[in-house]
Amino acid sequence: MTRVARPAPRRLDAFTLPSEPGNERLALARVAGTVKDLGLPAQRLERLKTAVAEATMNAIEHGNGNRPEIPVEVEVIQNGDEIIVAISDRGGELHADTGDHDEPNLVKKLDGDQSPRGWGLFLIRNMVDAMDVTTDGQRHTIRLTMRTGGAAHDKRM
Amino acid sequence: MTSACEATTRALPGAAVIELSGEVDGSAATVLTAAYEQALTASPEMSTVVLDFAAVDYINSTGIALIVSVLARARAERRKVVASGLSPHYREIFDITRLSDFIELFPDLDRAVSQL
Repeated sequence: MTRVARPAPRRLDAFTLPSEPGNERLALARVAGTVKDLGLPAQRLERLKTAVAEATMNAIEHGNGNRPEIPVEVEVIQNGDEIIVAISDRGGELHADTGDHDEPNLVKKLDGDQSPRGWGLFLIRNMVDAMDVTTDGQRHTIRLTMRTGGAAHDKRM
Repeated sequence: MTSACEATTRALPGAAVIELSGEVDGSAATVLTAAYEQALTASPEMSTVVLDFAAVDYINSTGIALIVSVLARARAERRKVVASGLSPHYREIFDITRLSDFIELFPDLDRAVSQL
């Protein structure tokens, strides 16, 4: 039996951004430019862009406390048919206290039983094929994985 | 590369149209609240608020929260909210968040207004 070697993961881009509100748009645009020729269908690219923007916004606001001198780090990796975007901040301990962990419930929000906010992680989870979070001391990283070939989320459409 | 949210309000018989442009994010709160107040002033008996997103290029989670707040207020005042002009991506987000269970979606403003 012949074993086909899987290509090694390839880093396509790595950059940092100052932790200023609004800079999530810069991350979104740069990641979109990096992956544009990798065969991601248009609608899945839009989902990835939303997930990158939301994760970067969380890193800026909750991780780095909107302090421009603390950078958000963004890395884009291609691993076979997977596009992986890793977004890191320095707020490992802070993310636990963001209060953004309850599953948002629109009815509760409309009735005033839940804050209208708190959609960030929910959107990220629903936009990408996989999301995982690691905290290593102060460093907090969210990894977003999107397969170029499509996945379960597409069946919803 | 960012464009602030702007809103234009138009009164119709029994309804008001709020045409949004730019980015619906946290910074849109003042604009959206002012537009709703303006709509109420122009059309105090309005039973429907039409939010038109045709010229909106970005909505984030904070923007979704603002739309939830508008919807909550309108429901408390027994007014209906409908939306038009959302891109397929943002229609999907309205579906995922269940906003589309409470806000009827129309492809464009003309069709939304024709249903009033």
